[in-house]
Amino acid sequence: MEETKNDKPEVSVEVTDRGPLRICGNFILKDLQRDNETVPGEVWLCRCGQSSDKPFCDGSHRK
Amino acid sequence: METGKTFSGGRKYTNGEITVYWKPDACIHATYCYRELIEVFDPGRRPWVDMTGASTEKIIKTVNMCPTEALTWKWNDEEKNKSVGPGQTNHIKFRRPELMEAGEAGEKGILENPVTVKIMKDGPIVIKGSFELINAGNNKVISGSIVSICRCGKSHQMPFCDGHHRKVGFEG
Repeated sequence: MEETKNDKPEVSVEVTDRGPLRICGNFILKDLQRDNETVPGEVWLCRCGQSSDKPFCDGSHRK
Repeated sequence: METGKTFSGGRKYTNGEITVYWKPDACIHATYCYRELIEVFDPGRRPWVDMTGASTEKIIKTVNMCPTEALTWKWNDEEKNKSVGPGQTNHIKFRRPELMEAGEAGEKGILENPVTVKIMKDGPIVIKGSFELINAGNNKVISGSIVSICRCGKSHQMPFCDGHHRKVGFEG
């Protein structure tokens, strides 16, 4: 089980079509704006500048 | 290094005498660590592990309670690691033997250089490390070491930052 898990690339970053940035895997998220650091495993980050839950996507890009 | 691959991410903390390894994706939040020793393991603090919060003996006892392999430990004195008995359930010898073999060189690449994603103040997302970037718009995949992704929505070089956030006065 451990082996199959490790065969995946450690971190994948996906620029979704007209949507947020999805990041998956083992990474450290450092938010310099809000001064915090987390190891979330997976995040959807806003790319349109309109989210009211920055840095995360809240679906505002569809409006 | 081959042995480095078998530890796919995590952080380590030391008090000079022992090193505690934390692998976040193995954690099931059983809460033994912080119920037992909040002085050292405090999920509300950053960094969440403070190795100066208690004695080595207490830290070992608490790490040994972790029901998953999320928390493991070793003596910094490699000689001492060889004679560790099975009572020390979460010693890396029993839980993460690959770390015994990897040694310092193997650990360095993986543990001290994890991928970092930085949200810049009023600016882009900067991703550093070894990652794969998939662009769903044109199905292009690049293996990157550093990229800067637009966060303001105004770049003319999408998905990358071209500095327009300054012109438009992006905040967030």
